[in-house]
Amino acid sequence: MNGFTGFLLRRIAGAVFVLLALSVVVYAVFYVAPGNVAQIVCGERCSPQQVALVHDKLGLDDPLYLQYGHFVQGIFAGRDFSSGTGVVHCSAPCLGQSYRTDEQVTDLILGKLPVTGSLVIGAFALWLLIGVGTGVLSAWKRGGVVERLLTWLTLAGTSTPVFVIGLLLIIILCSTLQWLPFPQYVPFTDNPEQWFWGLLLPWFSLALIESAKYARLTRSSMLETLAEDHVRTFRAYGLTERAIVGRHALRGAVAPVIALSALDAGTMFGSAVLTETLFGIPGIGRQLVESVRTVDLPVVVGVVLTTGFFVVLANAVADVLYAMADRRVVLS
Amino acid sequence: MRHTSISSGNVARAAAIAVVLAVGAVACGPEDSGAKSAGSAASGTPQKGGTLSVLNNEAQTDFDPARLYTSGGGNVPSLVFRTLTTRKRASGAEGTKVVPDLATDTGRPNADATVWTYTLKDGLKYEDGSPITTADIKYGIERSFAAELSGGAPYLRDWLVGGAKYTGPYKDGGKGLDSIETPDAKTIVFHLNKPEGEFPFLATQTQFAPVPKAKDNGTKYEEHPVSSGPYKVVKNENDGEHLVLERNPNWSEATDPERKAYPDTIDVRSGLDQAVINQRLSASQGPDAAAVTTDTNLGPAELAKVTSDKQLAARVGTGHFGYTNYIAFNPNVKPFDNPKVRQAIAYAVDRSSAVNAVGGSSLAEPATTFLPNQKAFGYTPYDPFPAGASGNADKAKELLKEAGYADGLTVTLTHSNAKGGPKGPEVATALQDALKKAGITVKLQGLEGNDYNDTVASTKKEPGFFLRGWGADWPSGGPFLAPIFDGRQIVQDGANFNTGFLNDPSVNNEIDEINKLTDLAAAAPRWGALDKKIGEQAVVVPLFHPVYKRLVGKDVKNVVISDWTGVLDISQVAVK
Repeated sequence: MNGFTGFLLRRIAGAVFVLLALSVVVYAVFYVAPGNVAQIVCGERCSPQQVALVHDKLGLDDPLYLQYGHFVQGIFAGRDFSSGTGVVHCSAPCLGQSYRTDEQVTDLILGKLPVTGSLVIGAFALWLLIGVGTGVLSAWKRGGVVERLLTWLTLAGTSTPVFVIGLLLIIILCSTLQWLPFPQYVPFTDNPEQWFWGLLLPWFSLALIESAKYARLTRSSMLETLAEDHVRTFRAYGLTERAIVGRHALRGAVAPVIALSALDAGTMFGSAVLTETLFGIPGIGRQLVESVRTVDLPVVVGVVLTTGFFVVLANAVADVLYAMADRRVVLS
Repeated sequence: MRHTSISSGNVARAAAIAVVLAVGAVACGPEDSGAKSAGSAASGTPQKGGTLSVLNNEAQTDFDPARLYTSGGGNVPSLVFRTLTTRKRASGAEGTKVVPDLATDTGRPNADATVWTYTLKDGLKYEDGSPITTADIKYGIERSFAAELSGGAPYLRDWLVGGAKYTGPYKDGGKGLDSIETPDAKTIVFHLNKPEGEFPFLATQTQFAPVPKAKDNGTKYEEHPVSSGPYKVVKNENDGEHLVLERNPNWSEATDPERKAYPDTIDVRSGLDQAVINQRLSASQGPDAAAVTTDTNLGPAELAKVTSDKQLAARVGTGHFGYTNYIAFNPNVKPFDNPKVRQAIAYAVDRSSAVNAVGGSSLAEPATTFLPNQKAFGYTPYDPFPAGASGNADKAKELLKEAGYADGLTVTLTHSNAKGGPKGPEVATALQDALKKAGITVKLQGLEGNDYNDTVASTKKEPGFFLRGWGADWPSGGPFLAPIFDGRQIVQDGANFNTGFLNDPSVNNEIDEINKLTDLAAAAPRWGALDKKIGEQAVVVPLFHPVYKRLVGKDVKNVVISDWTGVLDISQVAVK
């Protein structure tokens, strides 16, 4: 347990460092990026005088290091913003306020987490099911028609962009056959049934894209395990092939799969943008793209930090899961 | 600019036009001859009741009357915000007229149109039942000057006495803007810097909606703005991504002849993929049967389907919003300082291939005039450099020879990287091909969104030869010609739209003269004549006017598309 506590502390310290470094990089990149945010916020027909007022109101007249200082201060101590008629307090951890919409970034991200979270969780379950399932089957039925068919299908799924596969699924299942409602995000807390049906196609599309990777990984990992000495021993004992594959080999083969999938799930928080866009899911990835387009720095930093946090978290979880699945691994 | 805004003036953001325009704004166009006017998808007399869904791509962000940039008060905004005047809710050209809304008439000017007086109708109430007063309209306009609530059109700042220096009610110590007087609760008087015969058009914008000072909470006001219109906001999620509007029981139909307000509830959902919007409207299942879109044109697949499917074709609304896409020259950059070079390019352009590049003849019409091809703008047909449908390479070569480029010429065309957009790479490539036939080698320079907008609007970085678009703030020649061709509107240190740096005293004077006219019917032909005169200088080459083609669900009735906005007017639609 001691080793585990140490592992945890080191990971947390590392994570804080990584996230701070990320925020510095984003600030620096935006400083040189094209686009005058005050003009964008003010509107194209704003006079230079009005743009200057907006520039000042957004705090952009301060030197960059001071702007960054305010940002860090907000995270630990909170900040106050003017609403014109009064003061709006943004309590710690305050990631600032959107330049464009005046929404508090922390609220904005907290509002979008359940959305992207819903998408990622379902897709994650499906891609493991499809990926590991086909991987195991094709390792088991190696060289046969089934393997070739499965390999072909998963590869086709992976190599087709989501806006093609997703749109095809929508046209076939929702428009032509009318088996499913058109995808739409409904919060789980509003209506769990509509949440499920509304997300089914997005889950499936995202899972198809990811699953080939897992199928290939599971297959090669399975083949490796199946070739190991202890499996040969099991065979010699006369265990059925089904028991060997399903019980013994899978356990050994699944460790790298779990590690990789935890990582992918973490990354997916910021990178499911195409899926979110096609299916009209108001998630984090889409927010990021929109904010970059409008040079809305506080939101971009907030989103990057959030997705960065999930990637770091996923890494740690992957390490732990890997160690649990494979006792030979020591956390350090 | 905030894309929210939609509309019109925005000009520059062309790429988004199709999308954007609609949202907020409003515009509606005429309909096509065949399908028509009242002609909606479903037949029968429109009834009250039901829920209308609006399926959009761009969100209705910043739902605050001070911040919205609309043409004629917007489409969704106009359901919640009534203004002193509004656009007439009628199909086609009739819909380009300005009519009274909160006021009893469209405004009473003094002799030289520098003072405009309005009187409110009786019995006007907010959603909470309290009376609407002119002090609230004055306050609503003053708010739009605050840096916290920026985003609206520039006219109030430019036209009102003292507007250029006013910084809004949060910083004026309660003094307000002196050029807006409210002698009593029903009268409001505006004092302008110079004659502005088109003031009634400006008074359609959402800045002229009343805002009760006691309810103003600054940047938070957009979450629940106080309604003066037939609907009130009951839900506003994610800055306008999902808006739910319900009937405002204190709206009086008797005071509002324009808005029909048939549905009980209007559900506006944005952030949807355009292909998915078209699939949903086309399938028209369940609640989608009572759905419309105000910002998504038919895609190529649906356009093809419409030609063979009569039932679907009956559900397509066609509209024309006043917008022109054009080639802009910077005469300070060689060789575009030479009028012969500009004229040669004007002769060489292939408008049919440019039209094809944006989706073909059902989504754009070739343009030889800068003004949109509608009477309200003062449209006067002219074609000073007749290029025919596909370009006149011989004439172009001749002019190049006269200009000293007998052996051809190499130039760079700057365009936006927004694929499929009216300023995008497809249009640029079409021009490249056409100019090649005239011996002009065109190199293409594509820029990303913000970079493109900044570059072409900067007097310091402006390229010599690029693609641009301009839309109507209201259906008249004034807001179409003045920002682009009035030499006093060249903006040195900000966003500049007079990209040709035209500063011709005779043009500037004529703009001032026409602005003195309060008889808009008399003003229109003079705008047309001015357009023709400017066109001969070849500082821009008009390419095409976009056309909107949008589907509605099968239960949607009473589709009204005016030439003011080009899209169906939500206030007229019925779903029962």
